[in-house]
Amino acid sequence: MERIEAAGGLVVTVVCDEPARVRAGLLRGVEVAHPVVVDIDRSTYRSWGLRRASRTSFVTRPGWIADYALAAVRTADRPRRPGHDVRQLGGDFVIAPSGRVALSRPQAGFDDRPPAGELVQALERAAREGSVL
Amino acid sequence: MELSSPAVGDPAPALALPLLDGSGSVRLEDLRERALILTFLRHAG
Repeated sequence: MERIEAAGGLVVTVVCDEPARVRAGLLRGVEVAHPVVVDIDRSTYRSWGLRRASRTSFVTRPGWIADYALAAVRTADRPRRPGHDVRQLGGDFVIAPSGRVALSRPQAGFDDRPPAGELVQALERAAREGSVL
Repeated sequence: MELSSPAVGDPAPALALPLLDGSGSVRLEDLRERALILTFLRHAG
C-alpha cells in the first residue's frame, strides 16, 4: 500500500454479494483502508465485460467438492439469493489519471489473478504518465 | 450481447456504486487525476 500511496494512487474493490455476507465472510476481521463498493446486480461487472466461469472449470477447481458441500449446507434452509452466481469471475484493471485503461486483466478462471507487483508497477507507470496515456 | 473488457488505451467504462458501509458511493469520474487499481472480486461462493 505504501507504493500505491507514494504514487498518489488509490485502490477500489468491487464485490457482487450482499454487504452483510461480505462483512461476515470475505472481510471478517479485516480492516480495509480503501473503498469497497457493491455491485449486487452485477450490472457493472457486465459492463466491464467480466465473464462467468464455465461449468467445467467449476467442477475441476481444486476443493470444489468441499466448497459445494459447504454451500449446500449454508443454503439448505434458505431461498436462492437474488443475483447469486457462484460462477461470476472478477478481474483487475489499472486506470490512468486520463481515465483510460492502463492494464486490463479480466479473470479467465477462478485462480487467474495477476501478481500484486504487476498491478502496482502498472499503477506507478500510469501515475507517471499522467494524462498522456 | 456480451460485452468485452476494455483493452489497454480504451476509456474506462462508467462505474458508480454504493460503498459497502452505506456511507455514500464511488463514481469513477470523480477519481480522475489519480491512478487507480480497480479490482472486481469473483463471487465469494
